[in-house]
Amino acid sequence: MNIKHRILTLCIVLCSSMVLFGQQVTDLRLNEMLVVNDSNYVDEYGRHVPWIEIFNTSYNQVNIAGCYLTDDTTGLSKGDASRWYRIPTTDPTTWIPQRSSKVFFLDNSPLYGTYHTNIDPNTSSTHYIALINSNGKTLIDMFVYPEALLTSTQSFGCYDDGISTKVENGKKVKNMGMLPYATPGSVNKVQMGATKSEHLQKSDPHGIGLAVISISVVFAALIMIFIMLKIFGYTATRKDRKAKKEQVADTVAATSTVKVAANEVGPTGEELAAITMALHLFFNSQHDEESEVITIDMPSKHYSPWAQKNLLMKKVIRRR
Amino acid sequence: MKEFFIEGLQQFFNYSGFANCEWGNLIMIVVGLIFITLAITKEYEPMLLIPIGFGIILGNIPFTDGLQVGVYENGSVLNYLYFGVLKGVYPPLIFLGIGAMTDFSALISNPKLILIGAAAQCGIFAAYAASLALGFTPMEAGAIGIIGGADGPTAIFISSKLAPSLMGAIAISAYSYMALVPVIQPPIMRLLTTPKERLIRMRPPRAVSHREKVMFPLLCILLTAFLVPTGLPLLGMLFFGNLLKESSVTKRLANTASNALIDIVTILIGLTVGCSTQASTFLKVESILIFVLGAFSFVIATACGVLFVKLFNLFLKEGNKINPLIGNSGVSAVPDSARVSNVEGLKYDKTNFLLMHAMGPNVAGVIGSAVAAGILLSFLY
Repeated sequence: MNIKHRILTLCIVLCSSMVLFGQQVTDLRLNEMLVVNDSNYVDEYGRHVPWIEIFNTSYNQVNIAGCYLTDDTTGLSKGDASRWYRIPTTDPTTWIPQRSSKVFFLDNSPLYGTYHTNIDPNTSSTHYIALINSNGKTLIDMFVYPEALLTSTQSFGCYDDGISTKVENGKKVKNMGMLPYATPGSVNKVQMGATKSEHLQKSDPHGIGLAVISISVVFAALIMIFIMLKIFGYTATRKDRKAKKEQVADTVAATSTVKVAANEVGPTGEELAAITMALHLFFNSQHDEESEVITIDMPSKHYSPWAQKNLLMKKVIRRR
Repeated sequence: MKEFFIEGLQQFFNYSGFANCEWGNLIMIVVGLIFITLAITKEYEPMLLIPIGFGIILGNIPFTDGLQVGVYENGSVLNYLYFGVLKGVYPPLIFLGIGAMTDFSALISNPKLILIGAAAQCGIFAAYAASLALGFTPMEAGAIGIIGGADGPTAIFISSKLAPSLMGAIAISAYSYMALVPVIQPPIMRLLTTPKERLIRMRPPRAVSHREKVMFPLLCILLTAFLVPTGLPLLGMLFFGNLLKESSVTKRLANTASNALIDIVTILIGLTVGCSTQASTFLKVESILIFVLGAFSFVIATACGVLFVKLFNLFLKEGNKINPLIGNSGVSAVPDSARVSNVEGLKYDKTNFLLMHAMGPNVAGVIGSAVAAGILLSFLY
């Protein structure tokens, strides 16, 4: 395998691994958390316990089974997962659909079920929850919460689902804070306003604005292709044009040479005509006389599937 | 024993189509039969009208609910096949086949023809405005407007996203008008052109190199998809199919896409779209309005194409002028509208063949309608 092939194979492998990676647990984000749960979400035992929400930011379903949740990332580089909560791999409900979330209870009761972890933020010495990949070495997301959350009845999380930072005026700023509503298991950004279509109906009731914009965009797209094709055409025909120019120049040069030559030493037009006529008569007189016997040369047999005998015959069925 | 016998027969009768039949079903079955008759006797788009017509008959055979046989019943065979329509799977596959069949040489050799394809998309947005005026919601209006693109797969793709409840009527309307291209377009073309204009002879197209043909789909997808990413499924498949054809090293793939694959998908899309026109969901005033609006958008699209050529000719030198009879080909009914241009051109000059010239705007129409669909999706979806 030469070097070019190696590079190509490497690129293909990298691209495919990126695609695979794009549909995996790395798309998960810790999205919202509530510690003082007095009257909010209840678990299957009817208890109000702290919870954290994991959001799938991708447009594919992702299986969270095998990943770890912890409030202490010591041993992350060594893959030491002995103290972390491992999400069971045997539960089929661990698949998170696209742009959806799952709620895990931080109740330090891992034996209560898949969604009950060994974490309790009220007794934890750290103020973060980490989501770690099943290999025990890759940190997927870390959710750092303020100390105030331990006493607040509001939840803390991302204003836009799964987006913990955003860029404002060229600077990276936090996109997290105390949320007005606790929304376990559903999106944080509650849509209160009109939909895209309703908004459009209000702002452009006759559809003229949309028509003008759309036609402009269609024209813009096709004009871009038009320009591209023009450049194409110009480049493609450049050689032809050059060749044509050279040919014309050659012809002009040749004609002028002949003219010059004719003016200097050559015969006149009448003389040339006389010479041509003489040659014509001479060659015609040399013509032989035909024997007037027609000979027919039969062509050799050409192959044709139409002439194949076995194709024209009906096959006889053999009895066994 | 006698009672059991009578009860059994009665029960059997109650399950039969005769007991559940309504006038709507019969009307739709007649419509299906008309489609099949038109396809066989008049040869109006037989590849589409026969599957659709038969689908209409299948979809309107009355049955008792819950037997898992209807197209709208979860778990039925037809429902599984309808999934491809509902989720917009089939239209991009058809575009793949179209791409593998289409020769863009006419367009590459005479790029100005591409602008006719853009002008003809006006029909889409005129129908959108008209639909809004008639009380349809913006999403429904967008789905109805796309009929003006004269592109069945695009119409299905957009209606599956924007107005799934109207998909049957929109698809039937789009395919019907596509089949009626030779009937609808010529009168508009004659009305908007002068006898002198119809005699314009266009310069023969130059030969297009292999490199140009290969570069065309690659550059086109980059230009159009960056501008309208929502059109990616349609545009991506169209240009991918074309690359398979023009690269000349994937002949087998191009052959499959342009023959077996497109045939299979055409059968499935035609049949299931036909099935979706159950009388209970199809026979409504809305459907009639959709048909009227579809015709309107088609007329506007044709007229805009022709008028644009006339306008364009004002800026072109003598010898470079375009015959306005190819303006109708801006709609993406490939190759029917190009054929109509050729037939009309030959009526006025028996040696003026416009087919190759008309193929330029015709394929530009395919690109234009896919771009327009992408724009509608980005605004409304």
